[in-house]
Amino acid sequence: MTRYLIERIGQAVIVLWAAFTVTFILLHVLPGDAILIKFQNPDLGLGPQQIAEIRASYGVDRPLWLQYGHAIGSFLSGDFGYSIQAGVPVSESIRANLPPTLWLTGLGSLLAAVIAMIIAFAASLSPFAWLRALVRSAPALFVSIPTFWLGIALIQIFSFRLRLLPVIGAEGWRGLILPVTTLAIPISAPLAQILVRAIDDVATRPFVAVARAKGATHAWVLWRHVFRNALPPALTVAGVLFGELLGGALITETVFGLNGIGRLTQDAVNNQDAAVLQAVAVLSAVGFVVVNLGVDLLHPLLDPRLARKERVLS
Amino acid sequence: MTVADPIETRRDLSPDRPAWLRLPRFARIPTSLALAWLIIAIAAAWSLAPDLFTAYSGTAGLALQHRLPPGGVHWLGTDELGRDVLARIIFGSVHTLSGAFVAVGVGLVAGTLLGLIAGSAGRLADDIIMRMVDVLLAVPALLLSLSIIILLGFGTINAAIAVGVSSVASFARLARSEVARVRTADYVEAAFGSGGSVLAVLWRHVLPNALTPVMALAALQFGSAILSISTLGFLGYGAQPPMPEWGLMIAEGRRYIATAWWMSIFPGVAVVIVVLATNRISLSLRGRPD
Amino acid sequence: MPPRNHFRPVRTSMALFGALAILTGASMARVEAGTPVPGGTLIYLEQQAHTNLYPPAGGFYPNGGVLNQITDKLTYQNPKTLKIEPWIAESWTVNPNKTEYTFKIRKGVTFSDGTPLDAPAVAKNFDTYGLGNKDLHLPVSEVINNYDHSEVVDPTTVKFYFKKPSPGFLQGTSVIGSGLVSPATLSRKFDELGDATAIIGSGPFVVTKAVLGKEITFAARKDYAWGPANLDHQGPALLDGIKLIITPEDGVRIGALLAGQADVIRQVQAYDEKQVEDQKYLVFAPSTRGVNNSVVFRPDNPLVGDLRVRQALLHATNAPEIVQTLYSPNYPQATSIIAATAAGYVNQAAKLTFDLDQAKALLDAAGWQPGADGLRWKDGKALILTAYESQPQPQNKAMLQLIAQQWSKVGVKLNVLAGDSGSRAADDLDPLKTPVSPAMVGRADPDVIKSQYYPANRDILRQKGGQSQKVQTFVDDKLNRLLEGIASETDEAKRLAIAGEVQAYVIDQAYAIPIFEEPQAFAAAPYVKGLAFEAVGRPSFYGVWLARH
Repeated sequence: MTRYLIERIGQAVIVLWAAFTVTFILLHVLPGDAILIKFQNPDLGLGPQQIAEIRASYGVDRPLWLQYGHAIGSFLSGDFGYSIQAGVPVSESIRANLPPTLWLTGLGSLLAAVIAMIIAFAASLSPFAWLRALVRSAPALFVSIPTFWLGIALIQIFSFRLRLLPVIGAEGWRGLILPVTTLAIPISAPLAQILVRAIDDVATRPFVAVARAKGATHAWVLWRHVFRNALPPALTVAGVLFGELLGGALITETVFGLNGIGRLTQDAVNNQDAAVLQAVAVLSAVGFVVVNLGVDLLHPLLDPRLARKERVLS
Repeated sequence: MTVADPIETRRDLSPDRPAWLRLPRFARIPTSLALAWLIIAIAAAWSLAPDLFTAYSGTAGLALQHRLPPGGVHWLGTDELGRDVLARIIFGSVHTLSGAFVAVGVGLVAGTLLGLIAGSAGRLADDIIMRMVDVLLAVPALLLSLSIIILLGFGTINAAIAVGVSSVASFARLARSEVARVRTADYVEAAFGSGGSVLAVLWRHVLPNALTPVMALAALQFGSAILSISTLGFLGYGAQPPMPEWGLMIAEGRRYIATAWWMSIFPGVAVVIVVLATNRISLSLRGRPD
Repeated sequence: MPPRNHFRPVRTSMALFGALAILTGASMARVEAGTPVPGGTLIYLEQQAHTNLYPPAGGFYPNGGVLNQITDKLTYQNPKTLKIEPWIAESWTVNPNKTEYTFKIRKGVTFSDGTPLDAPAVAKNFDTYGLGNKDLHLPVSEVINNYDHSEVVDPTTVKFYFKKPSPGFLQGTSVIGSGLVSPATLSRKFDELGDATAIIGSGPFVVTKAVLGKEITFAARKDYAWGPANLDHQGPALLDGIKLIITPEDGVRIGALLAGQADVIRQVQAYDEKQVEDQKYLVFAPSTRGVNNSVVFRPDNPLVGDLRVRQALLHATNAPEIVQTLYSPNYPQATSIIAATAAGYVNQAAKLTFDLDQAKALLDAAGWQPGADGLRWKDGKALILTAYESQPQPQNKAMLQLIAQQWSKVGVKLNVLAGDSGSRAADDLDPLKTPVSPAMVGRADPDVIKSQYYPANRDILRQKGGQSQKVQTFVDDKLNRLLEGIASETDEAKRLAIAGEVQAYVIDQAYAIPIFEEPQAFAAAPYVKGLAFEAVGRPSFYGVWLARH
């Protein structure tokens, strides 16, 4: 197990380094550069000479390998560099933008899980066949709706027409309801699918019949066994959903005008703010690596069959 | 790696990811499938011969007839430059569909190739390729897509390539695990035993067997590629005006949503219907996963 | 002027729109009937985040919207009469050939960090704006020409010397780009001035908190007692504070305003004006009084180097159709390269006719023959041009698309790109990549024409030796001489005559196709009273109060 852990961590470090390097290279082959984007604005009144001086003051006129060495060196010492577009240290940008995104994605995943459960149980326990069928087709619809379109529609209906929830200047939870819902709906679909399948599987197993014969209620049996069955596949998709959450957060933040890592990323790509992107790439790579490592470590604990197989293989 | 393998394999083999779109039992009757094919057929016909379906142009309109609501003359209304919305949806289908084809094609070809090599060319190649795949997964897909588009230039096909590149990782993982599974099958061992060259065995036995789930993933990716491309269009990185791409139409129409809802609602409906249809079809290609 | 007028929304085209005038007039009557109620926080939605708050960079409207609340200027340009009135300067004298300006500074004015706004502080401000600061990368202000040095005569008297006559300087002291800031602010590096909390002004509001790219919180300065002397409102601002929230989505800004989630918004698109007014909300569209919203050519690109091609495109452009389709009466059709309300305006309408036959004839004469594909061809090249959309300009993408639609009728293709900022910034310097560009700039002085066209300023035509090293040969000495004349002619009548000459010349050369006079369009809830705008349409919240609602 220790050897396995060390190997996995070693792999993780390589992935992080590669993510950093890939981002660095990507950003440096793009046309234009952050200095030009920020300062080549006629309203600022800077001439070519002055722009060249600013470029020199940021050290971006040095050879690429020197910049790379400098970037990776300061990164390791905890200095994420300076955002050219914002004119503040990157760590400050991240500090300002990370919490809202964590709230958004955290609550989004939670709501997604709740929606998935509601769908799954309505799909199995509803007394009407037509309702069960209708509910079962919901996930397929949920993944077919473009997130941005959903967000626009929710704002128009609930905020501007019905005036139930503000999108501007909203404090606390009231401002989060619409964005969290927008983010949660597409995420809930795969979870709902897994739960529905788990319920279907469990319902046909003999032990359910046995349990029921012993007097347990239908719902209680389902609850107990469904989760045991659904957890491993749910964990499996968690890694994939992590990426979807980031993408979804970007769209949600754009449509709702929230600040957060998603919008920071989009702005930084657009402004080629290399230092910010480097930090975002490494941050999300860390997230990815941690989530996947967690999933891999939890899997054998939750799925005895897998644990057995593992022992045989090692 | 030996320990990690079954876990990764398990993850990749797991039908859950692609199967989230499994439709409920009631929909498994052919009607819904037939409907899905009909929708795709219509969209394909629109792409091939848009002129047969509308008398209006997809890119030019009469400026002074702008923002007309849906009615007898313009069934789905007109946009801010007096262009017929239905005509734009019809002319836009070719961009949306060809974009999805390109995206899936890039992911399928590059991913399967990488997966095949990783699964059959030994430990070193496997390690290198799979770490590359990890990096592809670890760098946020959007950051990757946006950078690729800026590099290639804005446009639907470039957006499609970017979407395709971000899906390479999924294809590579699936293909690799399929190869690993098939390789150990008796008949493949037998083929090796009877002196077949590695390439020949790969080509004749491994690839065809590994391809089935890969193709199912491809069909599924088709729907999500449409969504991703329209999302990029919405963010301004996809199709450029006056090209009538659906995502771009929603993006441009959203400014007018309070006064001219038809400009963004109808292209949105088009996206939803086509994605639903392709997902339904991909489900039928998979068969029952369990 | 009757002082109350200052509180009236400045609608340049009100006369055209009688019904709306009555509507606005009626609501204004209520304003005048009510007694100002102090207190409250105003929610202001801005379309774009500011870029840099070095005051000379205030020409960019999102920058100016912030700076106008936190900085005072030496002089105040009355938006109604365009006369220069006292503000921080109580009085001033100018020598006859406009090379020496002496200002008497008001006593007791302080910056919000406590340092006095006295003659040395003013001198430091204009030394920086007039000469720039190389070490700190602070550029020279585009509104100050021929600056030499300053002299502090006594603590309340400052004198400025110019190398050559600088007739635009007095007006230049009233503009957003000449906002006075604390010496501490001016000792910071240019790129540190993106942080709104770093800008220490003497204005009625102070920035208390800034979340980058998201929102800025302003608080009123309770000790503020030096507003422009001729204003109705005196003393500290009536509001407790302002919350400026960046809301890029047009639909969200307008929706939030109408749903009661915001009080004032900037950039109301023309198509939304109707729903704003239907709900008895107010649209304010003060003119920017500067260079009109236009499409300009980069003649260094051989495709548009030929005068006949540019003229053909000018005549192929149907400006009335553009204005009718996309805009509203608040966006009058342009009749020169500068607005009809701008100083020195001369009507050029006779040369700006829409005439497809003439356009085709000009292209024929220039050797561009129609090809089988409907495009015009010459020497194996098709006449395909490219322009990048300018996001800050109202509906610019739609406008360029409509122009593309119009030009296609004479066989010219115009590609409209949204583009990423990097490609846009790089391509914009290269006339080969952007032969066509949208353009506008606001300022209520003929100097604005020089700002826009002069190679050392905005260099909109991209001349050799200007902003771009990519330009091969194009220089227009005649134009540049005329522009220098505007900046240095001391006789006002002669100066305006030169301004007229430039307008005729630019149109004769078809360097620019003026489309419409761009207003700054704002909308406000009916209970927002006393909203005012400086001469070129930046909002001032100094006299604003919120009636009970």
